[in-house]
Amino acid sequence: MSVLLAAVVGGLFAIGTFLILRRDLVKVVLGVAVLTQGANVYLITMGGIEPGSFDTVPVLATHGDYVPDTADPLVQALVLTAIVISFGTTALALALTYRAYQENETMDVHQWR
Amino acid sequence: MAMTEQIVIGPMLAALGSIVLTLSTRRFRRLQRAVSVAGGLAYAGAVGALAWRVVLGAGPAAYQVGGVDAPFGITLVADELSAFMLVIAGAVGAASIAFSAAYVDPDNQAVFYHPLFHCLLLGVAGSFLTGDLFNLFVWFEVMLMASYVFVAFYGGEQHTAAALRYLVLNVFGGALLLLGVGGLYAVTGTLNMADMARRLAAPAAYGIDVEPVLGLSALLFAAFALKAGLVPFQFWVPGAYRAAPLPVVAMLAGVTKKVGVYAIVRLYFTVLGGLPVQVDVLGVTGDSALALLGPVLLLTGTASIVLGGLGAVVRDTFEETFAYSSIGQVGFIVVPVGVAAMADAEPLRRFAIAAALVYALHHALAKGLLFLATGAVRSATGTNRLADLGGLAGRSPLLGATFFVGSLSLVGIPPLTGFFGKFLVFDAAVRRAAATGAAGAAGVVVALLVGAVLTILYTSRTWTRCFWGARTPPVEDAAVDPAHAAAGAALDREGYVDVIDPVGGVEE
Repeated sequence: MSVLLAAVVGGLFAIGTFLILRRDLVKVVLGVAVLTQGANVYLITMGGIEPGSFDTVPVLATHGDYVPDTADPLVQALVLTAIVISFGTTALALALTYRAYQENETMDVHQWR
Repeated sequence: MAMTEQIVIGPMLAALGSIVLTLSTRRFRRLQRAVSVAGGLAYAGAVGALAWRVVLGAGPAAYQVGGVDAPFGITLVADELSAFMLVIAGAVGAASIAFSAAYVDPDNQAVFYHPLFHCLLLGVAGSFLTGDLFNLFVWFEVMLMASYVFVAFYGGEQHTAAALRYLVLNVFGGALLLLGVGGLYAVTGTLNMADMARRLAAPAAYGIDVEPVLGLSALLFAAFALKAGLVPFQFWVPGAYRAAPLPVVAMLAGVTKKVGVYAIVRLYFTVLGGLPVQVDVLGVTGDSALALLGPVLLLTGTASIVLGGLGAVVRDTFEETFAYSSIGQVGFIVVPVGVAAMADAEPLRRFAIAAALVYALHHALAKGLLFLATGAVRSATGTNRLADLGGLAGRSPLLGATFFVGSLSLVGIPPLTGFFGKFLVFDAAVRRAAATGAAGAAGVVVALLVGAVLTILYTSRTWTRCFWGARTPPVEDAAVDPAHAAAGAALDREGYVDVIDPVGGVEE
């Protein structure tokens, strides 16, 4: 599972970096969004996935025989905050993109004065 | 049972209250402006009370948010370092908001200018006060979100372009910051800075691998250096400073850059300071994370000083000259931090950190003053190009005197703050050169000298071009508003008062 998540994080960062380096402004903003999602998936991964035990998850004591794998809930709380922040930033970036298009009449970053 | 002291959240409550009040009064422009300036003063007052309590009173104070005890809840901590940085923010913030009310065109002020300004102040206060690593990221974003909008504020093509560049770059920096924070949490199992420092000081007892911590700290360093505008992360600075309203630029240059420097000092000296790790990278050896930070900071700091100084000498507008000058001045702040990181003896380390902080205060006041004076020049003459100006000192002696004092302070003439800053920074670098005798240490002193000479060059260039000589048509037609010049002059006077007090607190 960790290897899969590491590959996903690496893939998201690769796609994000590639898109940020494009000339088309919309692709740049998409790249920003993908990159921050990569960071979010990485944060989730940092919580780790372990066999549950009564020590780490007290509520499992009343859960019966079957004990599922558990993950650290703190990173999930952190990631919610990070998602909200990246949502706000992406929305602002899209608004600025529209504004830049109105001003320059082009989406090509290289044609900006 | 952890102690909780309400006074710690005073500055944040003042800023938050001002956001709400300026939003609810935005239909009444004059009232909104009055409320906003009062909010800026309340912020400065809350900061002053907190600094009084921490520096002259009973020492560091902590506040547990929501009553959840550390290390599980979010802790806000005001120690001498945070209190000192907050004093800078309070002084520059109050002066900038007062100047904004007079300088920024009333129609523009009505468009969320004041709530955003207080949002910026809120983010700055949060960054300085938080004792939680993830919370630091959140406050950084609060601060940045307001500054994105300010860079785009005037809405022209260069402004939106500058804002998009600034945004994309800082989102990238934010992602690096998240990687560092998440990694440190996975390695140490905590986000509370004090708890993390305790665990990292005894890694074996908590089953911590020390090597990943070094790499993760490098990610955090890159994110903070980007905020501070250090070479090689300096390229966003001129564009953003050219686009934002000038009172906000005074805040961006004077305060938000210092947040990056503060975060570097906080992370390396407080959190990672006790980490026992053998460093052997590219010929750099040592037994703590600081051994790696020192050479990196000296290198980026001296590069910033030289590049910023050279850039400032050849610019043809006020804003760009001072933007490049800020790049160089931040170099002057991080060089003593690098000296402190490489110091073997505790007295030199404390002295060098104090030198960096005094310089940070000096730069915030002097650069804040110069950017506000630039705003006064632009509103009076309608231009900011050095070539179009001349004879301003004769046209407006008050504005001329304000600008002159700011320039002298930047150069480092006693009794202005710049003298103390430069003196302490040189003293720290020379002490290190004397202690080690290495060629690199002497090279740092030479770079500082070059930077000082370049500072004289570009300040005297702007002064002789714009304030002396024959009056040009824009200057002849200028209508100088005395209130604008006075707001800058007030900031300058605060400098004399402030420089005595916090230094004593840091060195005690």
